[in-house]
This record gives sequence, C-alpha cells and structure tokens, in this order.
Amino acid sequence: MSFLSPLFLVAAVAAGVPILLHLLKRHTEQRVRFAAVALLKGAPVEHTARRRLRELLLLALRAGALVLLALAFARPFFRAASATSAHLTVVAVDTSLSMSAPASAARAHQLGADAVRQAPAGDDVAVVAFADRADVIVRPTPDRNAAASAIETATPGFGSTTYAAGLAAAGELFGGRSGRIVVVTDLQASGWDMGAHAAVPEAVRVDVKDVGAPVENVAVTALRADGDRVAASIHNSGEHVRDVRTRLTVDGRAAGENVVTVGAHGSADAVFADVRSAGIAVATVDDPGGISGDNARYALLGADATAASLVITASGDLDRDAWYVRHAIAGLRGVAAADVAGMRDDALGRYGAVIVLSTRGLERRGREKLAAYANAGGGLLIAAGPDVDGDVVADVLGSGAPLEMKAVTGDAERVAPQNSLSLAPADVRHPIFRSFGSEVASLGFVQFRNVARVGGPSCQAIARFTSGDAAVLDCAAGDGRAIVVASDLNNRWNDFPIRASFVPFLDQAARYLSNSARRGSEYLVGEVPKGLPVVPGVTTVEASGGSRRVVVNVDPKESEFDRMSPADFQASITRLKDVAAKDVRADAAGQESRQHLWQYLLAAMLVALVAEGLVAGRMA
Amino acid sequence: MAAGARDRQFLDPAVVARLGTLELKARTVVEGLISGLHRSPFKGFSVEFAEYRQYIHGDDLSTIDWKVYARSDRHFIKKFEEETNLHCQLIVDVSGSMSYGSRGISKFEYAACLAASLGYLMNRQRDAVGMTAFSDHIVDALPSSTRPGHLRNLLIALDRLHVGSRTDVAKPLHQIADAMTRRGMVVLISDLLDDPGAVIRGLKHFQYRGSDVLVFHVLDPDEIEFPFDRATRFEDLETGDELVAVPGAVRDHYLKQMGGLIDRYRRELGAAGIDYQLLNTSEPLEMALLAYLSTRSRTA
Repeated sequence: MSFLSPLFLVAAVAAGVPILLHLLKRHTEQRVRFAAVALLKGAPVEHTARRRLRELLLLALRAGALVLLALAFARPFFRAASATSAHLTVVAVDTSLSMSAPASAARAHQLGADAVRQAPAGDDVAVVAFADRADVIVRPTPDRNAAASAIETATPGFGSTTYAAGLAAAGELFGGRSGRIVVVTDLQASGWDMGAHAAVPEAVRVDVKDVGAPVENVAVTALRADGDRVAASIHNSGEHVRDVRTRLTVDGRAAGENVVTVGAHGSADAVFADVRSAGIAVATVDDPGGISGDNARYALLGADATAASLVITASGDLDRDAWYVRHAIAGLRGVAAADVAGMRDDALGRYGAVIVLSTRGLERRGREKLAAYANAGGGLLIAAGPDVDGDVVADVLGSGAPLEMKAVTGDAERVAPQNSLSLAPADVRHPIFRSFGSEVASLGFVQFRNVARVGGPSCQAIARFTSGDAAVLDCAAGDGRAIVVASDLNNRWNDFPIRASFVPFLDQAARYLSNSARRGSEYLVGEVPKGLPVVPGVTTVEASGGSRRVVVNVDPKESEFDRMSPADFQASITRLKDVAAKDVRADAAGQESRQHLWQYLLAAMLVALVAEGLVAGRMA
Repeated sequence: MAAGARDRQFLDPAVVARLGTLELKARTVVEGLISGLHRSPFKGFSVEFAEYRQYIHGDDLSTIDWKVYARSDRHFIKKFEEETNLHCQLIVDVSGSMSYGSRGISKFEYAACLAASLGYLMNRQRDAVGMTAFSDHIVDALPSSTRPGHLRNLLIALDRLHVGSRTDVAKPLHQIADAMTRRGMVVLISDLLDDPGAVIRGLKHFQYRGSDVLVFHVLDPDEIEFPFDRATRFEDLETGDELVAVPGAVRDHYLKQMGGLIDRYRRELGAAGIDYQLLNTSEPLEMALLAYLSTRSRTA
C-alpha cells in the first residue's frame, strides 16, 4: 500500500494519546485493599475482568479511530501492479484525417504492431490514439496481443493532428518509469501548432515511425459565398497537375459542376455562379485514390453576409473619435458609449462586430447589452486605449472571461523611441494574421509608446510585444469572441493607424469577429461543441435562442502534406527533469482518486466511534 | 457496658498502637483499667493457706483440719490458694484480612494489643495463659504457663507475629481443641470473615472439650459502616480478587450482609453459651478486657 500524503501518518502517533491516558487514568477510581470483599460479590458490581476487557476494547476503538483518521488523511492506495514494472513502451498512433489514406492506415497498423512486438522483453506496453485529442486505448499491460489488437482498431477519423496531445497522454502513462514512446505518424508539419511543445519525462525516449505521406490527394479546403457566386478552393497535394471535377449542391439539389485544373502542390478555385443565396451548400470533388474525408466541404449560405460594424466612442462622432478606424473599414456606424443603453434590444445583433474605443459613459444597462451581444455570439474588438476602463471591459466580457487591463508605460512624450515596443504575432495561423502571409513581419514596424497590460484565463495571446507582454488577445466571451488590442487605435499611444498594416489588421479582425458571429453556424471537427457528432456534415444545435443548423468541416490543414523530419519532430519535444516526479505524483494521485480508500477509512472510523460510544455508554 | 466504658476515658486504640513495645501497650491498657476498678473480686484457690472456715454439711471431709478439731472439738476446714486456677488459651487470627485498618490501627495490631493485654492481665491474676496464632493453619503456639518469665515469652511471641495469607478459622480451631489436655478458657480474637457455620462448629468443639469460650469479633469501622462514597476498586486482601463498585449502589447490600454475619455469630454463639463480643477497632481495648473479666467472673 502506498500513500499520497504520507506525512499525515505522523498524526497516527496521536493514537498513543488514548493509550497514554488509559495508562495514566486506568485507576481513576480509588483503590482499596479490603478484607470483606466477599460480602460485595453478590452486589450489582462490575467485575474487574469484564471491565478490563471493555476498557481494552474502548482503548482499541479510540486508538483505532485516530489511526484510521490519520490513514484517511494520508490518502492510501494500492499501487497498480503494472505500475511497478520498470519499463514501458507506449505506441502513439496518429489517427488524424491525413492518416486515412488506405496505404497510410495499413502502414500505421503494421508499424504499430511491430513496435509492440519489438518492445524489450519485460516491458509493459500501452497504446494511445491521437488526433485533436488523445485517447488511451490500452493502459500499461504486459499483454502484447491485446495491445496489437487495439492498434488494429485505431482507425483514422476526421480530426486534425495534434502531436502535443498524443505525447502528453503517452507521457502521463509512465508514472516515473523509463521507456520509450513510439509515435506512428505521417509527420505532418501542421501537427505542431506554432510555439507548441510537448513535455515528456526525461527518462523516456521518443521514436518516430514514419508512415509516409499520401502521394496523391485532392481536397476541398474552403467554400465561400460572395453574392450569388460560390467559390470552392481545391487543393492538390500530389506531384502531378490534375483536372478536378467539382460539384456543388445546395440543400441537396445540384447547383453546378465545374472542372478546374490544379497544379502540383497547388490550389485553385472552382467558381459557381447564380447560386441561390440561402441553404446548405456542399462542394465535392472526385478523388478515389486520396483521402476521402476531405473530398467534401459544407457551408451555410445566407449566414455569412458580413454586416456592418458598430464603433463605440466617447461622443459617437467617428470623425473626431475614430477617424483612422472609420477610414480603415467601410460601412461603420458610430454610437456614443452613453447611448448604448438606449439602443433597442436587438439593435446590436445586426452588427457583425462592435469596436469599443471608449467606455466613458457606458452605463450598467449599456454593459449588459454589450455582454448579451457577446454571449449571443457577437464579436467585440476592444482597443485598450486611454478612454477604455478595464473594469468595464471585464464587466462586459463577464465573470467567465475576467480581463486584467492596466496601463504599464508612461506618457507618450516621456517614452524615448528606443524604448517603444513592437509587436509580433504569436500565432501566424490565426485568421487575423493568416492573410498577411509573408508580410506579417510588417506588423513589427508599428511603434507602441503606451500599452496596457491585458490578460485573462480564457484569452489567448495571438500577438506579443517585444517586452513579452500580450499585445493582442483572442478571448472567449459566452458564445462570442473578443479581440483585445493592448493599445489604442487612434494614433495616440502608437503609430499603428499610419502604418500599412493597420487597414488589413482591422479588416481581418472585423471579418474574424463577423465570422465568429456566424461561427455558431460552422465548426471544424475538432471544435464541435460537446454532444455534436464529430464528423463532417450538417447538424442541428440546440441553443438558448432555439435550434439552428450548423455545418461541420474537416480542418483544411489536414490536406496540407508539408512534412517535417524526425529530427524536427524531436526538436519540438521538451524533456523536463521534474516531469518524472510530477508524473509519479500524478499517477499516484490518479490511482488514489480511482480507489477512494480514504472514504472507506473514514467510514470505518465513524463505525469505530459509534461502537466506542455504545461501549462507553454501557460502562457509564 | 459500652457506654460505661466510654465514660471511663479509656485510651484510644490508635494511641495505644503508637506506644513502643507490646509489653508497654499491655501494661498501659491493663493498669489503666485496673486503676479504674475496685479491688478484684476474683479469688481463686491456692496451695497456700488462705483461711479457716467452719465445716458445713456437704464440705469435703478431707479438707477438715483434724488438728484444730483435736484442740477445739469443732470442725473447721482449711482453705488454700492454688498456684493457678485458670488455663487460658489466646487464639489470634493472623490471616491476611486482619491487616486491614483505616483509623491508624489495623485489626491485627488491635488483636495483638488485645492478646497482650489479656495475657498481662491474666498473668497478673496468676492465671496460666498461652497463645496460638493461625491463618489457614497454626503458625505459632505457646503453651499456657504461670512461670515468671512466661509473660515475656508471650509478648515476644505476639510481637513476632506477622499477617499471613488466607483465612481458615475452623481448621486450626479443631486442631487446637484436639490438642487441649485440660479444661480452661479459650479466647478467640478474629475478624471471623470465614464460613460462619464452620467457625461456630470449631468453637463448639472447645465447649465439647469442656472449655469456656470467649470470642472477640474484631472489625474495622470501615467494615461495619462501609463509608466509601466514590467509585472504588476493591482488592481482596487475601485472594487479590478485584471488583469495581459504586459504594452508593452496593452499600445496602454490604451492610445487610455484614449485619447478617454479625447477627448470626451473636445469635448462634449465644445459643451455644459462647460469649461473643464485637469489637470495633476504633473503640478502646479496655472494652474487651471488661468483657473478659465478665466472662471470667462467671467461670470462677
């Protein structure tokens, strides 16, 4: 038996207290050496032998209760037998969409089974399947046949590759033991998010078994509407130019057929004209030799019309308060912060995004309307400028997304140019920065003199200042999203508005937020809300405002076969010395939490106390 | 008699117990008693000439002094004083139960003091006195005698006694009774915490052998009154048995048992013609001596 908190066992010495008291107080009654004891024997007295037996029983119950209490606090558990084995081999099988090519799947099964068979004698083996998330399908076991059989069942799905999830799940299985992780994958480069690292125990070696990339594959990577025109992006990851026949249906009825020529490792759009403006659109391509899961893409027509954005300023006069923003984005409306409260309840919902440049005068009712807008799926762009109060913003984003916002630099005049900050995207794959392409570095020309410190548990920093502080946050706010820029957008704290990157940044941010407003109608497989099927297609979501149809697509990055070398793969793995110790504790905590022995010990202690009460009552 | 005795300002037994030697204790008790009495009315027979008395019908003819008859032509008989006129055996219980004492003197110490005082008194009256000590068997015995140094031997023997273990009153009584060769007086000093029937049968054995019996039933005040008031673990002095009792709950039962024991001794011994005297160790020893003297007067 092991203990999660063995120090509590020291408290077991408290069991000596009743023993000590018993020894000290066992003759609390006066003791008289008497001559006529025989005359007492018929009286209703308790004979010593019986009383001593009860005293010992009481003593045992009291001491036992204390020992049980100490044991319960020490949180005992029986260590699993497999955890005592010295070495472990974990086979982590990539089951992402890119592995679903027939040749890849068979190769993966073969390599996985080989890894199990080749595990050193005496090693336990385990199997992990991973895509967007990881599942342990065989926990550490000496049964290699079971592991090999489980690998056969690890069939690829529609998820995207996330190496970090697979390695994390595999690493947790070691529990302080040494061994190796065999990753069976196609080495898709997109499996590592930018900056993502996986930590595995120092004593664990990681081996990569490359199944190779599918040679030929054609995929529909995007489907978008522009008026009555619908464009489907076709990507060819093969080595040859291909003529790809693309079909479009809307609500099950054919809406067009097109043949596009796509170059090797290239993309092309299949454009369909005169398409009805509403309905479920599905674009499909014929690709019998490639991955079947990315041959279709779904879109909800009519839900993506980009609505105008609303700008909240101090006065509502955009020329005065938001001149740069007004000229960067067409079709903006302006409203004073104080007037938000007076807007009709459904007025905010008509806007694709709301840009908050000032919270002065934003009353409680106005905050509530903004919060309701965000909760309903609206998108907020918040510039942490001098007119924005962090507490008000936190109030708008709600308790689920507390936001810290505090100015950290001094006046603009007092900041020397050499002390100004620049920003750099932390995730160039974020939709806001994706369109910058190779020009994303132009964001680094922006000089920030004043910035606010922003952060929150449900926010992700998608850009950082050169100081390391977050520059742009992407926050979840109810069903909506909020982009928080840690400086102003009116050329007061920075020169961003006069830089070339300002307009595309604002445009992409507004589009992203507008899309997030309709993001409730389109999900990637790995992002579907709980309860929805994780397969591409059309489904219905029950929401507070009623049910709505949504489409689910595979992640287009799964159709990009940019590969990485095993060395690059290894370079993304961090080995931390304390990981082993943490794993040991995590493993122990996991076993303890599954067994819950402390509950039984506490119950036994209560039983002992009840028994003690009964015995003591009889003695009294 | 008890009230009268208390009026005489006798010595507290606890005070007597603190006196040096047993002889001193005995002398203090007896002299104190004697000084408070009139001259002893007890005259015995002696081999020494005491007086002449005119013959009356029924006198033994051998006691007629024929020389006086020759001179005076009248019949006189000659009375003599004997060396001793009583053989008394003091039987002292030295069992473990006799070691109990709550008021500065144990029952054993009280009994030893009493035996010494009786011995001193008897020796002073020129009675022959002996001593036998017993627990569950006879542990010491000193034959009765009136020799000059006998009292000292008696006191030394008493002084050397120690409390023994278990009690078996009846068995030593029968042994002593069987061993007695002459009639006399037997004085038993014991707490009598034994089977009353067996004890009484043993005492009757002495009567059967023609001796007078005087029983001093020595009890401690605690044994008579049972004054304990808080939970008490009682350990038997002889067996070591323990039992825990709340005195309030067992007092009535105990007092009833003890009262029944005393009543039985008093009733059955009285019926058998055996003098029975209950002695509380908190009461003066002189009370016992007076009881003896009372019995002795009847014997004479």
